[in-house]
Amino acid sequence: MMKQYFDDLVNGIEAKIKEDPGSMSPRKIYALEVAKIGRRLYGGEERVAWCGVTAPFDLLAAMGITSCFVEFVGAMLASTGMVSEFLAEAEQAGFAGDTCAYHKSVLGAARKNLMPVPDFLIATSCPCTGGLAVMENLARHFKKDLFVLNIPQEETDQSVQYLADQIQDMVRFVSNHTGEPLSEDRFREAIANTNKAREIMVDVYKMAMNLPSPANGRLFGNFGIVVALLLGTQAAVDVATVYRDSFKEMLKNKVSGIPNERYRLLWIQNRIQFKNPLIEILETQYNASIISDELNDITWDPINPDNPYIGLARRAISIPFNGQGRRRIRHLQQMAKDYRIDGAINPCHWGCRQGSGARGLVSKGLGEIGVPVLNLEVDCIDSRNFAQGQLKTRLEAFIEMLDNRSSPWN
Amino acid sequence: MTNMKKEKIGFTCAYTPIAMADAAGYIPYRVLPVSEVPDQAGRILHDNLCPHVKRVLDRALENDLPEDLTGMIFMNSCDAMRRLADAWMETRPKDKVIILDLPTTPEKIDISFFAQELSRLSDTLAAWSGSRITAGKILQSIDQYNRIADRIQTLNSFLADGKLKGSGKRLQELINLATSIPFEDSLKLLDDEIIKNKNHPAEMNGIPVFLFGNVMPDPEFFSLIEDCGVQIIGNDFCTSTRMFSQLPCKKEESIFAQLSGHILGKPPCARSFDPSHPGKIADDVVQKAKSLGARGVIGHSLKFCDPYLARLPMVRDTIQGTEIPLLLLEGDCTLRSFGQQKTRIEAFAEMLR
Repeated sequence: MMKQYFDDLVNGIEAKIKEDPGSMSPRKIYALEVAKIGRRLYGGEERVAWCGVTAPFDLLAAMGITSCFVEFVGAMLASTGMVSEFLAEAEQAGFAGDTCAYHKSVLGAARKNLMPVPDFLIATSCPCTGGLAVMENLARHFKKDLFVLNIPQEETDQSVQYLADQIQDMVRFVSNHTGEPLSEDRFREAIANTNKAREIMVDVYKMAMNLPSPANGRLFGNFGIVVALLLGTQAAVDVATVYRDSFKEMLKNKVSGIPNERYRLLWIQNRIQFKNPLIEILETQYNASIISDELNDITWDPINPDNPYIGLARRAISIPFNGQGRRRIRHLQQMAKDYRIDGAINPCHWGCRQGSGARGLVSKGLGEIGVPVLNLEVDCIDSRNFAQGQLKTRLEAFIEMLDNRSSPWN
Repeated sequence: MTNMKKEKIGFTCAYTPIAMADAAGYIPYRVLPVSEVPDQAGRILHDNLCPHVKRVLDRALENDLPEDLTGMIFMNSCDAMRRLADAWMETRPKDKVIILDLPTTPEKIDISFFAQELSRLSDTLAAWSGSRITAGKILQSIDQYNRIADRIQTLNSFLADGKLKGSGKRLQELINLATSIPFEDSLKLLDDEIIKNKNHPAEMNGIPVFLFGNVMPDPEFFSLIEDCGVQIIGNDFCTSTRMFSQLPCKKEESIFAQLSGHILGKPPCARSFDPSHPGKIADDVVQKAKSLGARGVIGHSLKFCDPYLARLPMVRDTIQGTEIPLLLLEGDCTLRSFGQQKTRIEAFAEMLR
């Protein structure tokens, strides 16, 4: 079922682009490359590793592994409207109804044989303990070997070295499973691709800060977190390049992401993955545009190809969800300043302890710099309890509140 | 009693190296989620966060804490605990706070990193207390801690044999006390209790069951469970026996590495696991229940505790392959919903008869 879905998606997008090259948009190219990952995962021809969110996907790509964080599957199932059956399966199996639906859907999909059997699994302790628990469950379910990367909370010389050493151990673990050592040349090439994509994405994000922004609520949704899956490959460079070229063109022609941009919004944590009208309502009824997501940022330095493990470790430690809440809040405050954000929306994904657990402190932190936060109560994966009317009312009230206050950046 | 001028250093997780706080001249004090203060932590955290963490934060918000509590040691054991540390620093900005990274696996590389974390803790405690903490002092405190663990183990064996007067309730009362008073006072208390009980006749007043879970510090909970027709012959909670496991450090040299290895290797909370044996927690529960001769197993997890809730299906699947029935309960650290649970436990006991 999923193989067919990804095949159709890839073929459909490619056919559209071929038929009408003018329809090629950054989002379409991004969707195409993401669909290709799905096709490889489900194709049955490549070595597959199910991973945690902060695994070094570029290094794994250099080792010939198609790797993906498991939450990707949850998001895909939600976006295709198929997730309910898998959530129900997991709940039937005893997984609590109030745990993260990204994880529950994956566990349900595994039980219904909808997850490809991996060659092995690589768990990461960041961003969440729920994610680790899922990986342990999947390893037991698939009877496959599991490797764990413990991501330290703070960046110190010692913690970076600890993670760098673990990543090197991971390389040995992978080699033991594939029977092939890591090719230094392929690793260098992957790091070069990562650095190149990084450099271009820095430009892309800078352009998105423009007033008005070339970004909008659809163009950039999930971008930062999912593009990590492409790192190390030419696809990452291509996707970043098409975004940069498109934004450059838009800025040159004074075209903004939405017409008459009035409010600039920041989306906190992750998007609602199933079809819903909230972004459209914001854009068309209120000229309010989601111009960035919390993870649409580069928080790491270029990786030194002569000492790559240290750079990979620093990158994993640097993600905003890691470490103390204060660090995450400082990052959000900086983004709000950089993008001249009028307000932020936090979906407070039901079941996400690491994210929603910081709800009050995030609101307070952004409030301190004059940026109000709308805390929703949404399950970003499970559409069964989606209360569109209530959420619409909350959005309207939030925009009304923005109407009655001056921008923090004037 | 011993020197009452010692200040307290709080902690909230069974992985906390409390012997180091003792070595630094502090009384390690477990901030238990037991209080009559109003529920309000949800406004800072989120209502669907671990009730243990929320209740502890409620205590901080209402200053329902000992006056001489001057600092906190938090372990990065799970998402909720990390968020508690954030909220604590916001709520009580004057407190001294340290957060220790805690690897989830007990590999050599993890032991080495956690040893560095323990060294950082030692330096921090020395700075807080103004006095140097030597390896000798730490070893002495570990020795005291091990003696407490030994006493708890003895009392736990009394519990298994039905010889502990007051049964599970009394054991929990003693453990709660042992995590809030000076080590030397704990030892005296536990020694007295052993003397009182060692000749107590064995009594089995219900079906023998094994209890496991995460956080349940209220002694009354154990009493209420036993009122339903079962007798607790062993339990494995973060707030009970798992709080005190032997840390057999032998020498001053490389004390942090030794301590690290023993802490990461102790009977684990669900948040820790052995990657080479996924789901070992389920096998451990079965093994413990069988070794104690339990006729039933009761699992009690807090709501919203991902590490446990995500592993309970594995426990359920594993235990289904044995002849030991399992009852799973969810709670919120309080006895507010015990009425509903009581009916289920009574039915479970009825089935075991």
